[in-house]
Amino acid sequence: MSRFFERYEPETRQFFDEVISTEGAPRPHYDKMLQRFAQFSIDDIKARREIVNIFFRNQGITFTVYGEEEGVERLFPFDLIPRVVPSHEWERIEKGLIQRITALNEFLNDIYHAQKILKDKVIPAELILGSQHFRREFVGVNPPLGIYIHVTGSDIIRDKAGNYFVLEDNLRTPSGVSYMLQNRQAMKRAFPVLFDKYKIRPIENYPQELLRTLQEIGPVSRREPNVVVLTPGIYNSAYFEHSFLARQMGVELTEGKDLVVNNNKVYTRTTRGLEQVDVIYRRVDDAFLDPLVFRPDSKLGVAGLVNAYRKGNVTLANAIGCGVADDKVIYSFVPKIIKYYLGEEPILENVPTWLASNPADLKYILANLDSLVVKAANESGGYGMLIGPESTIEEQENFAEMIVANPRNYIAQPTISLSRHPSFFNDTELWGCHIDLRPYVLYGKTITIVPGGLTRVALKRGSLVVNSSQGGGSKDTWVVDE
Amino acid sequence: MLSRVAESLFWMSRYFERAENTARFLDVNFNLLLDLNKITHIENPNYWIALILVTSDKERFNSLYETYSAHTVTDYLVFNKNNPNSITSCISLARENARSIIESISSEMWEQVNNLYHYLQSVTPQFVHNDPYGFYKEIKNASHLFQGITDNTFSHNEGWDFIQIAKYLERTDNIARLIDVKYHMLLSEAQSQPEIVEGSEDIIQWMAVLKSCSALEAFRKVYLSKIDPDNILRFLILDRTFPRSINFSVCAAEDALWRISGSSRHRYVNNADRLIGKLEAELSYTAIEDIYAKGLHIYLEDLEQRLVKVGEQVHLTYFAYHTPEIEPLDIEEALPFTGVAGGRANWSQAQQHQQQQ
Repeated sequence: MSRFFERYEPETRQFFDEVISTEGAPRPHYDKMLQRFAQFSIDDIKARREIVNIFFRNQGITFTVYGEEEGVERLFPFDLIPRVVPSHEWERIEKGLIQRITALNEFLNDIYHAQKILKDKVIPAELILGSQHFRREFVGVNPPLGIYIHVTGSDIIRDKAGNYFVLEDNLRTPSGVSYMLQNRQAMKRAFPVLFDKYKIRPIENYPQELLRTLQEIGPVSRREPNVVVLTPGIYNSAYFEHSFLARQMGVELTEGKDLVVNNNKVYTRTTRGLEQVDVIYRRVDDAFLDPLVFRPDSKLGVAGLVNAYRKGNVTLANAIGCGVADDKVIYSFVPKIIKYYLGEEPILENVPTWLASNPADLKYILANLDSLVVKAANESGGYGMLIGPESTIEEQENFAEMIVANPRNYIAQPTISLSRHPSFFNDTELWGCHIDLRPYVLYGKTITIVPGGLTRVALKRGSLVVNSSQGGGSKDTWVVDE
Repeated sequence: MLSRVAESLFWMSRYFERAENTARFLDVNFNLLLDLNKITHIENPNYWIALILVTSDKERFNSLYETYSAHTVTDYLVFNKNNPNSITSCISLARENARSIIESISSEMWEQVNNLYHYLQSVTPQFVHNDPYGFYKEIKNASHLFQGITDNTFSHNEGWDFIQIAKYLERTDNIARLIDVKYHMLLSEAQSQPEIVEGSEDIIQWMAVLKSCSALEAFRKVYLSKIDPDNILRFLILDRTFPRSINFSVCAAEDALWRISGSSRHRYVNNADRLIGKLEAELSYTAIEDIYAKGLHIYLEDLEQRLVKVGEQVHLTYFAYHTPEIEPLDIEEALPFTGVAGGRANWSQAQQHQQQQ
């Protein structure tokens, strides 16, 4: 075993370790990797770290941290040890996600049409109709092929026994896929020999698959749809990704001011006049899309866009109003949603969830704030969260007040010890860091999932928060055929 | 091409060229003072105020510093973030524009802008003070490298033409300002110290002007060693083959504009083409005596005004996010011309910070 792994303490009594089993031996799919790392000295690792850093810096792969000085850009922290997912585990995840996304899309289609699931009282109607992401004005609108959620990224975690769970569904504008692609490039440069030893499923076709999906959902009347990406602009933390995807697909990256609507059709403003647009892969939130319909102060949107969409002259990916299905409260109903629309048992489980809007659950939550994770239903990016075991009494009291004042807005889950993966803390020693997995699901005429996804890693010692805005980093993720 | 992309290419190129020109002014000034240090002192404010006059920034400078010295002027023109034309500001803006169109430019172009930006972030005033020659050479070389990379990695189509227009409009403006300021200085010295106007110091100063355009060697090949103001002005304003002369730069900008629109001699498509064509035609049929007859200062000032007009028309023709057939013109709402790229940076920052999933 390598000198790095000799000194590594997996603490398998408390956590599921991805590399070392409870018996203390490496799991078989990590054998070859450990053998390779056994040959590396600290200087070898440092040299490879440098290759990776130069690659990321030259590519401009940075993200912006809000709340700090404007324009502070940081390299996205990257860990050199890849995560290996054996193909039999992956195939179960893949099936589970296809099932889950199919059901959630059926759910959205139903909610924006007949609302049968509400009439059958499977979900309390007030939870849907009262959600801030429910867009009443889109009831009855028919997106092409009946698809609402073209690009999604569900977060998957493992518990102490190694079981996979879905922690949340991101059905609006999930980010991070560019890191998945760039991580692979960086690893190929830094560890070419290691790639020889494994049969790693390729992910490089993601941009082509994304473009194909976007072309498939264009308005029926247009033969070769003109696709553009819509970004909030260069100050958005995911701007790098927006431009990266546009470049990889070979389509225009647009800001709201590049687009104009005339006679319910959308056009780009070019140096040679106007050109019609058919599909917009938008990375702008619903609320900012169209100042005539949503926030009137929005400078990121396009006046008239929503009407063009309702007329079927342009397709938005994802559709407007998908947030109603990835709300953390609706999350707790997903197993029922799968059962209701598909008549199947969920392949991937949900994390048990208590709803503060339910009086019995509320009582339980308030009594157990020190052991639960409490989340605001509509926040993302690790904001608005209370991690019970790590919180102070004062923080718990603050949260209790907020929960009682607005119970619809809060849910609680048990604190799950996320699985851990050895990661280089500095370049000299390995620590077990908590990880999750975000696979990216594309939904056009068929559902496509590029093998693997983005493994996010909490690089603060002991931290459970993997979001990049909160000090998280990432790893390359390999789905390997045995 | 998206209008916004064209505009960002334009400003990226323009700010890069501006940074290079500022580095040239400063570099030559240091060299000049070393040549002159027998008669004057390196801190003589007269030699530093000129650099501020070149950039028409006297008021802003005076609000930030009390004296004109090597230290204050260098700080203002290289580092000061409150000076939108400082080398650091220009490269930051060039990079910001490049970043907003990173998917449209070649990755080599981006790496070059990005490298220069990071280099400037690491440079200290002490470093520049210790080795001004090395520092300014680094900036000039970075700019040349950027242009070479652009020529060799970026398709020579519409986007490349916008880069050329910006580069040559900016360069023309800078040459005109440089000549104008040197003229001012020599004039004021002639009034205060009449005895040295005809002397060797005058020649040294004119040589400095040539050097700052990298023009000394090219000039000598044409005029041998006859360094007199007439020839120098003839060369810097009217020469058609030297890439840092006004005539050459105007021709190059005209070529690029015509390639985009399809204009040709005797037939123009838009006002930008008309104005640049008129300017080019006049330059081609101007003799140095015509310029003297009008007065050098007035001639140059007029030239600068006309360049601004060309820039305005380029903006209106290709960049203005306005479609008259759809949105009725509202003068109040129209974006101002000056520093579009620099000025528009902040207006929607807060909203762009939407939380990401």
